[in-house]
Amino acid sequence: MEPAAVVFAILFLVVVVTIFMGVRLVPQGFEFVVQRLGKYHSTLKPGLNFIIPYVDIVAYRLTTKDIPLEIGAQEAITKDNAVIVANAIAFIKIVDPVKAVYGISNYEYAIQNLVMTSLRAIIGEMELDLALSSRDIIKARLKDIISDDVTDWGILVKSVEIQDIKPSESMQKAMEQQATAERLKRAMILEAEGKKEAMIREAEGKLEAAKKEAEAQMMLAEASAKAIEDIAVAVGDKELPALFLLGDRYVNAIQKLSTSPNTKNFVLPADILGAVKGIAGRSV
Amino acid sequence: MNIVWWHWLTLGLILIGLELIIPSFTIIWFGLGAVIVSIVLASLPSCPLSVQILIWTVASALLTFAWFRFFNTRLDRTKAGSSKGAVIGETGLVIRGAQQYDKGTVKFHLPLMGADEWPCVADDPLAVGDRVRVVDVEGHVMKVEKIAKGDK
Repeated sequence: MEPAAVVFAILFLVVVVTIFMGVRLVPQGFEFVVQRLGKYHSTLKPGLNFIIPYVDIVAYRLTTKDIPLEIGAQEAITKDNAVIVANAIAFIKIVDPVKAVYGISNYEYAIQNLVMTSLRAIIGEMELDLALSSRDIIKARLKDIISDDVTDWGILVKSVEIQDIKPSESMQKAMEQQATAERLKRAMILEAEGKKEAMIREAEGKLEAAKKEAEAQMMLAEASAKAIEDIAVAVGDKELPALFLLGDRYVNAIQKLSTSPNTKNFVLPADILGAVKGIAGRSV
Repeated sequence: MNIVWWHWLTLGLILIGLELIIPSFTIIWFGLGAVIVSIVLASLPSCPLSVQILIWTVASALLTFAWFRFFNTRLDRTKAGSSKGAVIGETGLVIRGAQQYDKGTVKFHLPLMGADEWPCVADDPLAVGDRVRVVDVEGHVMKVEKIAKGDK
């Protein structure tokens, strides 16, 4: 091969490399940050771009599409000291590639942490029940808090969606225990009330029975009085027949006594008449 | 090995074909350069190899330069997915006025970047009902300018 051909072949290689370095094809959805001799020079927009070879270099390639950022699950403590676990997803967009690369060293990490800490702060200001039921409020507050911080980073936080918000495991257990205890309490109260009522009813029954009993005794007494009165009226002055009847019954009773199986000895009163008189309470 | 015109033509077509696989928009110029060399070689078969390579080099560089200098007309492109492109130039209505150095609120017809209401700042004081045009996005704040009445 002739020497001139070698020189031209090398020249050709240099031209190829130079053109390759100069032409930059930026795909839609990306923007390239170009540095000239170490300093920021320009931002390449999507399409075909030409930069000065050797002087300019593409220092950063950034996507300008929305970036979904996973915000991992984390524990947060509410105002009433309950522990809840929340995780979220944030959608961010680079609106100023220059600020995004020169304003912060790792914007994804920064925003993830910013959202995490803000989320904790917001939940810390809320009561447990409110925190569990108001995602929208949390979302709006979160966006509000973050916006000031991200201004310097050329990043826009489009939205932060709370994916999951639930009490922590120990909290869930405690809540379950509370519910169980409440049910148990109710059951015990119900049982005690039942017993109380039963006892009252029983006592009432007894009282009623006693009343009736007393009434019956009174009626019996009245009836006896009436009977005695009647007898007294019937007897009047004719004492003898009554005395005879009484004496007859007395003798009968003694007779029964004597035939009773547990009688060992029996002493008959000698003065039956006197005994009967004593019973009748009169002197004949 | 004796290089003849169709060698260059084949190389050129291969390079142009490669452009389809590797879209870098550089290989195609070397392919076209090779095609030009093949035309020169077909008309001047005695041209030495060094001159052939020189022609290829110069032709490729010239074509690349010419493309960027004369033919690279920036056509109207979609601004979807670009950083601020989709937002700048949109017009909205001020729904909360603001003094200078104070943030007002601007409302847009359709949601822009996920919300239809944005805090905004402007060089001039803004009054409720003013129509404004977005000129820049700074973090979560839209920089706007008032549109004079009658101006579209």
